Amino acid sequence: MHVIVLSWEFPPRIVGQLAGYVKELTVQLAKKNVETNVVTYHDFLTGQHEEPEGIKTYRVTNPVRTHIGVLTWVLTLNQEVERAAANIYYNANKQIDLMDVHDWHFIQAAVTLKKAFNLPFIYSVESLEEHRSHGANYPFNMAIKSIEWLGLYEAKKVIVKSEWMRDEVTRVYRVPMDKIKVIAPKSSTWMKDILEIYNSTMRGAVLK
Amino acid sequence: MTRELTVMMLTWEFPPRIIGGISPHVYHLSKNLAKNGVKVCVVTCDFPGAPQHEVVDGVEVFRIDSYKNPSPDFATWVYLMNVNMQKEAAALVNRLNGRVDIFHAHDWLVANAGIGLKHVFRKPLLATIHSTEVGRRNGLHFDYERMIHETEAWLTYEAWKVICCSNYMVSHVRWAFGLPEDKLVMIPNGVNLQEYTRNKNINFSRFRKKFASPKEKIVLFVGRLVYEKGVHVLINAVPRILEKVNAKFVIVGNGYMKEPLSNLINGMGLAHKVMFTGFVDDETLKNLQRCADVCVVSSLFEPFGIVALEAMAARSPVVVSDTGGLAEIIDHDVTGVKVHPENPDSLAWGIKKVLLDEKHANWLTNNAHRKMLEKYDWNKISRQTKDVYEAVLKEYSKSFWT
Repeated sequence: MHVIVLSWEFPPRIVGQLAGYVKELTVQLAKKNVETNVVTYHDFLTGQHEEPEGIKTYRVTNPVRTHIGVLTWVLTLNQEVERAAANIYYNANKQIDLMDVHDWHFIQAAVTLKKAFNLPFIYSVESLEEHRSHGANYPFNMAIKSIEWLGLYEAKKVIVKSEWMRDEVTRVYRVPMDKIKVIAPKSSTWMKDILEIYNSTMRGAVLK
Repeated sequence: MTRELTVMMLTWEFPPRIIGGISPHVYHLSKNLAKNGVKVCVVTCDFPGAPQHEVVDGVEVFRIDSYKNPSPDFATWVYLMNVNMQKEAAALVNRLNGRVDIFHAHDWLVANAGIGLKHVFRKPLLATIHSTEVGRRNGLHFDYERMIHETEAWLTYEAWKVICCSNYMVSHVRWAFGLPEDKLVMIPNGVNLQEYTRNKNINFSRFRKKFASPKEKIVLFVGRLVYEKGVHVLINAVPRILEKVNAKFVIVGNGYMKEPLSNLINGMGLAHKVMFTGFVDDETLKNLQRCADVCVVSSLFEPFGIVALEAMAARSPVVVSDTGGLAEIIDHDVTGVKVHPENPDSLAWGIKKVLLDEKHANWLTNNAHRKMLEKYDWNKISRQTKDVYEAVLKEYSKSFWT
């Protein structure tokens, strides 16, 4: 299996918990012989690298340096993420099975790649704008929510890390329960569950 | 090439959605490309009442959901609209089995979509730069403006070729984004001559009476009433013209300078000689251009100057200020009269020259019309554009993307 993981944070760039989680996820995937490419952001350490753990990373920077906020920053950075993922796709002779997108930041790239290549993606939810914005609903928050909605709508499956988050995703975005899978990061069956959902979601998978 | 060349045009406006000059430009270019054997798919923003998909004059038009939630600001809306545009365009190219040869983006408003599609489908991207943020704002003063400027720069960086509509814009864009000369191509803007041929069914003397008495010559100004369009220069030239010619000055357009200009005219005691029409519909505008004894373009700054071309197409003599794109359109005393910018004396001289010598004026309009056919004809412009497509595809065929 060959997957592309999209995450806006990945060591050495650590913003919150997500960097550590995605690192652990990809290390474990590599151990299970899943070919794993991570596309992530770094201001100046850009390009393709093979990490010692067997993960391939592709770091991109923002082509537009001046921004008025995180939203416009994300919306232009996505084009570079899209370019990197497309390069991985072509360099692998189009033999990519799945994308796993962590949080809303790179949903834009994932959706275009899905439409272009019929390449399915999983949306792994770390947090929602609903909770981050503490009820604020300015056009800025609405825009981020609309991107989260687009991701949840276009994703083939949604992974959440707790039952509470599953209920919140369902409550806020009306996502059907059977599209969401709860996989707790520290559970004993974590990697087994991840591989199971990857296998059932990847391109060409036979639906059971 | 065994099958016809296919180009996907990306534009934020296409008729019936008309905001500025890009909409008619892309419409005429696409239509004439189609006539010249290019398959054109236009992907553009939706518009109330316009279908999601239709074929217009041989051009396939696809209208996308242009993000209708409230946006924090215009630029953020542009980026959000681009999310939808590239998503829909990617699905469309997928449905066509990847059979698109070139993506052609018009201005930074579709930069994200154009750049994304280029890399996802590994096909060349072309950009037409109609205007720049640094030109529009006369400098970059805020992060908001710098962000748009850098997005424009990024689009020109990713494009295989950058098309501009005048030599003036070529050098402006080169300066603004530091581009190599061989990346830039000048292909002029055009005017559809057929739209300006006289309609025999219209009684022009009756139409004319709405604006001027039969004894008055009509001096027409068309443009936004803003400082850089130089309406105030024309107003200051009025008394000097009236010394020699009985004329009515008809000013079409709106803008923040309307009130100060009216005050100026009232103070000069010339209210009976200057008429502000505000915005007029397309047909009235064309008829005015057909009736005018002279059309004046007194801009201080002008990237291209399409109104001068429209006047030439309508067979009205033109007097323009010698600046920017205007300076290139007009050959002095051959296709029109050029005067010093921001100089009412010079402008009055030019206008009187045309109004007092009808034979010379006719000579100018005949020359101007011939020049229109030679240079600003959409059929010709579309063939030049097709040549650029073919040259780029030849380069592309040798690249590692094929």
